[in-house]
Amino acid sequence: MAEAPPYSEKLKSWDRFEAERFSRKAPITTPYPFIDIEKPPEYRGIPHINPEKCIGCGACANVCPPDALIMEWDKEHGVKRLTYNAARCIRCARCIEVCPTGAMEPTTRFEIATNNKEDLVEVVEHKLAYCEDCDEYLDFTERQIEYVRNILPREIFHLYALEDRIKLTQEEKMRRTVVKLRETEGNIYSTFILLNTREGGEE
Amino acid sequence: MVTTRDLEAHFEFECKACENGHCSKADVEKILAERKGLKDFYETFKEHIRECKRMTYGQYMFVIDREILPEAVLWWHNHPEFKETHLSTAVGTDERPLNGKFAFIPFLNVQVEPLNMDGNYWVFLKTYMPADDPSFPSVAAKLPAALWIEREVKDLLGFNPINHPDPRRLILPEDWPEGVYPLRKDMDYKHSPITEPKTEYRPTPKDTSLVPMGPVHAGVEEPAHFRLFVKGEEIVDVDYRGFYSHRGIEKTGEGRLTYNQILFLAERICGICGYQHSVSYAMAVERLADVEIPDRARYIRTLLLELERIHNHLLWVGIAAHLVGYDTGFMHAWRIREPVMWLVERLTGNRKQYGMNIVGGVRRDLLDYRKEEVLKVVRQIREDTKKFLDIALNTNTFIKRAEGVGILPYKVAKAYSVLGPTARASGRKIDARLDQATKTAMAYNEVDFKVPVYKEGDVLARVLVRMDELFESIWIVEQLIDQMPGGNIMVPIGDLPEYEEALGFTEAHRGEVVHYVMTGEKNKVYRWKVRAPTYNNLPAIPEMLKGYHVADAPIIIASIDPCYSCTERVQFVDIKTRKVKVLTEAEFNELSIKHKGVF
Amino acid sequence: MTRMKSIWVYHVDAGSCNGCDIEVLDVLSPYYDAERLGVKVVPNPRHADVLFITGPLTRQTRIALKKSYEAMPPKPRIVVAIGTCACSGGIWYNSYALYNTSPQRGRDRLRSGGPEMIVPIDMYIPGCPPSPEEILYGIAQLLGIKEKKMKGEYWIALPPGEEKKAENEVMFKIPERPVPLRYWLSLREELRRVIGYYDRDAVLNDFIGLVEKAFESDNPRERLHDLVTGYSLKEKDSRIGIAMRFIENEFWRLYEEYHEWEEALRKKYPITAGV
Repeated sequence: MAEAPPYSEKLKSWDRFEAERFSRKAPITTPYPFIDIEKPPEYRGIPHINPEKCIGCGACANVCPPDALIMEWDKEHGVKRLTYNAARCIRCARCIEVCPTGAMEPTTRFEIATNNKEDLVEVVEHKLAYCEDCDEYLDFTERQIEYVRNILPREIFHLYALEDRIKLTQEEKMRRTVVKLRETEGNIYSTFILLNTREGGEE
Repeated sequence: MVTTRDLEAHFEFECKACENGHCSKADVEKILAERKGLKDFYETFKEHIRECKRMTYGQYMFVIDREILPEAVLWWHNHPEFKETHLSTAVGTDERPLNGKFAFIPFLNVQVEPLNMDGNYWVFLKTYMPADDPSFPSVAAKLPAALWIEREVKDLLGFNPINHPDPRRLILPEDWPEGVYPLRKDMDYKHSPITEPKTEYRPTPKDTSLVPMGPVHAGVEEPAHFRLFVKGEEIVDVDYRGFYSHRGIEKTGEGRLTYNQILFLAERICGICGYQHSVSYAMAVERLADVEIPDRARYIRTLLLELERIHNHLLWVGIAAHLVGYDTGFMHAWRIREPVMWLVERLTGNRKQYGMNIVGGVRRDLLDYRKEEVLKVVRQIREDTKKFLDIALNTNTFIKRAEGVGILPYKVAKAYSVLGPTARASGRKIDARLDQATKTAMAYNEVDFKVPVYKEGDVLARVLVRMDELFESIWIVEQLIDQMPGGNIMVPIGDLPEYEEALGFTEAHRGEVVHYVMTGEKNKVYRWKVRAPTYNNLPAIPEMLKGYHVADAPIIIASIDPCYSCTERVQFVDIKTRKVKVLTEAEFNELSIKHKGVF
Repeated sequence: MTRMKSIWVYHVDAGSCNGCDIEVLDVLSPYYDAERLGVKVVPNPRHADVLFITGPLTRQTRIALKKSYEAMPPKPRIVVAIGTCACSGGIWYNSYALYNTSPQRGRDRLRSGGPEMIVPIDMYIPGCPPSPEEILYGIAQLLGIKEKKMKGEYWIALPPGEEKKAENEVMFKIPERPVPLRYWLSLREELRRVIGYYDRDAVLNDFIGLVEKAFESDNPRERLHDLVTGYSLKEKDSRIGIAMRFIENEFWRLYEEYHEWEEALRKKYPITAGV
């Protein structure tokens, strides 16, 4: 396996293009619009949502100061839309900081000027989980459930049979808890252990 | 002498300063003895003091009766011993949802000894006003520094400063209806009613003619409208209508955002000194949450603050050169400045609006190669600036336009609470970097630097102060890189305490930036007040302009490095409709160069 | 859009924070020198082909902006919005001091603001503030030197297990990592305190690579320590070395904690007690 250069060396080696190629012709002025250039690797360009990794937890929409990231629920069609609007984004990179899956990816993209504002919008549509007992869509997505499955150790899933309950609405969960309470006559620990599960986002 | 018995007689309240939350009289005595001058103030006004407490390290609050507000403020401002003490700003708060009253709090920056790190402190003089009669005797009648402060609370909160000498509208747009006060808590941050515009300009004095300047200028400046009253070429008086950039920042922050999001809003108050605002806000919140941030974070913050100062001083000297018709200087200054922008781009990810702060620390670390970059760049800057200054200060175009122009005497500077390099060029010894630097969000207590002070008070002195400061900043940066400690770069802060108040401040390159934060429930901010340095410097502009020629006006105005967007956080007047001839700034500059640029 | 040879620009500040104004000025300074592209800032809207607007359009500035726009010659009359605020109102949207056609804003118009309330905009250059290269790219598009690169995206994120049918449908993938996801999440969050959000992903990826190697041997604990030491020697950057050392400790702490916790849990509730 070829050894990649260390991380800091990689960053360090980046240099502005003027240095050698254009030193004689234009010692100061950039030749930019006539050639292609890159921004430094540290540059905070517009973030990009990676739809492969996004689970639709909405952590990014919660922290976004200008509300450039919006989470919309459409329970009739059973979808949840995460909309990113680069025309409103102030590029603080808070979304990148809090994203629990790494789906918010930083870029160094800077060539984003456009004559049509719709070019700046990125939408990811998620499918909501469905509670078959109540015939109703839940607040969270199928992907969130899958992610929780991955976070929690398998054993715990099997141990407490979370598989059966994970796709229930809050009301249905409460109803079942009551039924369970009645059945077990107060031995409630196994019903309450559900409250400790984490779901998706951190913030 | 204050005895315990005296204190018992006058302190029937619960004081939050003591540990158990219930004040014993001895604790009050302890607080009053903490800093020099507090006890004297207490003795002078003890009939009218309702409560006294320590807010946080070096910040004391006295709740006083509204009748004696002007006397109390003047007692501090004109303190015979503490010469540089000044009325910094004031905040009006709608506390009706909490206790049914309005509150008005002037802040005084008490300078026990100029540039003394630990002796200096802040005093809040809080007065409560009943909800049906929010009025207080005007401080501005006796102290010009309060002129804008009181016009602002009148506009935004509907307070009534009795006997205010100039009660015109300051901040809100001209088509904003009377009797709607955006900062009151019963108003939504979105509510924006419109009526017929109504302008209130000062009448032109007898035997003078009017030269309007602005509001839209070409190229450099932000919108602001100056009305110069001239007699021939000489400026007799000036009227100012600014606040074209009022964006309702405070209300937006209070209405929509959580405390970590406001940080990024604070950064966008100003594109030039944004990081200073961000640090001030973070400092205020950290103070009231009583968190000490890691040393490394303090160093990184200080480093970025100083880098910001370096590029802003270069920016300013470029613009000043441009305004006096010395465009070569402009080009050179901006050429020298550009590597700093590239540097901060690599340190933080953006050329401005660094986005480096989070409440509790910073967000990116300073790796070793970034340190090397910093040293390389600041050394380059030092060499280049020396060369540039050598040329610029030997250029007649520049020197003759700056020397002896726009003189601001020390007394006037003090009366208007002028800040920053403008004040230091007039002989005021103030620098917020050296006010209680311990336990702040910055590391200024651990570096060594001088504060340049000039006595001349003209435009040239302001140039020299800034250039001296630039070299000091480079020296600070070198020290910081040298002493950079290890450790974490942030501490997470959980929930904020409710209804606590604190002040955060930094010395921006224009003067002290002050942020007042009062927390509310659920990690929201109940009241957030921003005071940028230009807010104090701009009212002094008419004093500087009086007696000089119209041709000098642009450079005098620019010499305080005005930043309207910081100041205004809210305003603009359309002149064209009123058929007054408006000079754009470029035309104005051309005129000014024609008249004075030839030697 | 018509291609232009040289553009004369009039610049209006509609209540911006100065950041974009300074960057516009920076474009004219020696390093970026927009004048070589034929850009000239003129002091009068009557001479201008292009109007540069910065700022979210405060109420006070709106009349001045309108007048400036009307004073421009009717052709080509191109408006360029520079900065996020000018593109959409940015972080200030819905604020009371911004101009909006409706006094009851927020009810009928969700999240509105920006100069597009009163003038049509031909070129959006978002950024907070846009760096000079970004502004040059916008100008280059007006001049026909560069082509547009952005395009809007509409992804449909498929639930796990479903197959891709259409072009814009994307399957779910959790990246394969040799450590359990919960370790990765905790380490990532801890690392933010030590080295910051920007560098943490690279450091963590390298560390996970080392962990994979270490668990191939019989004594992963010692092997990992050796690997981390070797990494720090090669890396040379002191901060990354410290961060590595930190997550090494943190990793073993988590490892033990999770194992203890699992054991304890199993001991305490041995029987499946599901619904």
